[in-house]
Amino acid sequence: MKIYFHLNLESFSNCYFVVNELAKQALIIDPGKINEQIIKQVEEGDLTLVAALITHNHASHTNGLKTLKKIYDIDVYAADAELAEQPSHVLKGDGTLSLAGMNVSFYSVPGHSADSIVFKIGNVLFTGDTLEAGIIGTTNNNYAKKTLVSGIRTKLYAQQDDTIVMPGHGPMSSIGAERMFNIDTETKIS
Amino acid sequence: MNLCKCPGCMKSVLSDFDDNGEIRENGEYCFTHHPKKNEIAVKIYNYIYTHDKIVGLNASGMTFSGIDLTDKKFYGCNFQHCFFIGIKAKNLRSRVCSFDFALFTDCNLLNSNIQYASFAGAKFIHVLFTGSDMIHDNFSGLSALQSSFDDSDLYNSRFIQANLVDTSFRNCNVKKTIFYEIQQTNVSFKLSNTKEAVFDKAGSQLFQGIDNEGIL
Repeated sequence: MKIYFHLNLESFSNCYFVVNELAKQALIIDPGKINEQIIKQVEEGDLTLVAALITHNHASHTNGLKTLKKIYDIDVYAADAELAEQPSHVLKGDGTLSLAGMNVSFYSVPGHSADSIVFKIGNVLFTGDTLEAGIIGTTNNNYAKKTLVSGIRTKLYAQQDDTIVMPGHGPMSSIGAERMFNIDTETKIS
Repeated sequence: MNLCKCPGCMKSVLSDFDDNGEIRENGEYCFTHHPKKNEIAVKIYNYIYTHDKIVGLNASGMTFSGIDLTDKKFYGCNFQHCFFIGIKAKNLRSRVCSFDFALFTDCNLLNSNIQYASFAGAKFIHVLFTGSDMIHDNFSGLSALQSSFDDSDLYNSRFIQANLVDTSFRNCNVKKTIFYEIQQTNVSFKLSNTKEAVFDKAGSQLFQGIDNEGIL
């Protein structure tokens, strides 16, 4: 498995391109904008783009979907039913999928948005706007913040320390580091 | 991506190599529990020595001492909990690499280009990153002593809860760089665009409102 990182310079969101080299298949996570590089990767790598995984329905993470669907026949996996037109798969709660020859676990972690989903492939968590390096995603109110922190603690911090965190914005991190240095999930919030 | 075979160990496995000397993904043990520690260490050192472009190497927990990484390119490598002692490098290039909880001591990494990397919880003692591009990097929980980021581009990087002692950020681009809750002793930001950096999440105490703490 190889993961390629693409920065969407318009909204500073991170897009990830996950490739299963053996199966010659790929997934794209949060296609905020489809650029030439991404298309090149698919075409020159002779890859089949199988699905787009959406961590939540905010424009900076989904704007590229329309372009992608024009070019490729892909399935969209998201928790927001509005987001994906057919063919789409609405994710509920937690579970596991088998996509592009890889096991993809998903966890519902609401708070930043009601439809926030975290995907795990191998030992990498794609956290969207739930957990970033050192901070958590923005929330609209204290209740949402408490819900988000609770979800992060119970579902994400339960992962092993060296699990890599690849967020929707900002640099990467690891669960061990977040548990120790994230200023929003420190114990002052009970 | 696999976990160490040793019962109860939750660390990821070291990279192993096939007969052609290329990295294969199905290693079996982490460095601590590897039955042939010296042998695998030599293989990894040799691989780095003989390759300029290193992709997907997992060397977590290993010690690298006195080696020259000049012009090496690392992509998607895992160096968590590694020790880097007396490393010399110019024009080191790295993308999507993790150096979490690694210790760097007496290292010269001048003019490096390290983007989308994580140094969370790392310790820098006498480390020079002078003239480097360190964009979109995570330095949360960093402990830096007598180290230099002078003349570097730290755009969109994060130094959350970092402990900085006798460390300089002179003439740096710190636009969008986050320095929440840092502890600093004798730290210089001279000639850096600190107006563009973010030092305080809550803003001035005057604007925090009543009873900002403990609401939740």
